[in-house]
Amino acid sequence: MTTDLNEQEKSLIREKIREKYAQAAVTPAGSFQYPTGVRGIRQLGYPEEWWQDFPGALLESFCGVGNPFSLGPVNPGEMVLDLGCGAGFDTCVAARLVSPTGQVVGVDVTPEMVHRAWELSAPLPFRHLSFMVASAENLPFPEQFFDVVISNGVFNLVVEKNQAAAEIFRVLKPGGRLYLADMVLVAPLPPERQSLIDNWYQ
Amino acid sequence: MPGEALLALLQKTGFQGLRLAGYTGMKSSPYTEGALVLGKKPGISLSRETAGPVPEPPVAGPEPVPQSKPGSS
Repeated sequence: MTTDLNEQEKSLIREKIREKYAQAAVTPAGSFQYPTGVRGIRQLGYPEEWWQDFPGALLESFCGVGNPFSLGPVNPGEMVLDLGCGAGFDTCVAARLVSPTGQVVGVDVTPEMVHRAWELSAPLPFRHLSFMVASAENLPFPEQFFDVVISNGVFNLVVEKNQAAAEIFRVLKPGGRLYLADMVLVAPLPPERQSLIDNWYQ
Repeated sequence: MPGEALLALLQKTGFQGLRLAGYTGMKSSPYTEGALVLGKKPGISLSRETAGPVPEPPVAGPEPVPQSKPGSS
């Protein structure tokens, strides 16, 4: 997808998104118009045995828009990338599913979120789990590195979507799977909203 | 971006088996809703005639993952 935004507008969008999610790293409550936290987790059908021992603050940080694990299996021993991991709920679920020999990496553009993910996942017994600050448009991994890429509510926030898709494709192994949960348009935006940059981060 | 446009973008990138599996009920506005999209990177396919012997699986573990912890430089 080619964006018609100039570089100043792209920078503004990225800055506003980082601001919004830096605040959400403290608490997602009030930042989203759909259920977050445990209510969202339950509504999206994550099996309870996957998360029942997670710290309460990790559960409350959840602000996903879907359950990417409902799209297919994540198997023991696999390498998984969580693109836009936020505070790390899905990353920790993936870490549980690939145990004991797989590896999971969560990346996010918001340093506050990555810090929060390290903090909230620390009590869990996952030593094959890591987080780092990185952009979907420039993934710091070699080609054909992951078996699965998951993402939850993030791709719509990426300014350069073609570039991000190409990066996901590059880091997946042949036969690798993409499990994507994302916000999509289900009705036309009214004319007065169609050109608003605010649409990106509200 | 509508779901169909997202599928088209991913297809153009090279993904196969693309499917919009459904909507999640999570709405961020009257115009947007969570959706689930599945895709696969094509695998290497060799015909029975051209395929060589199946290689042994590697003995070594997975490659180390670059890590960045808070406070590290």
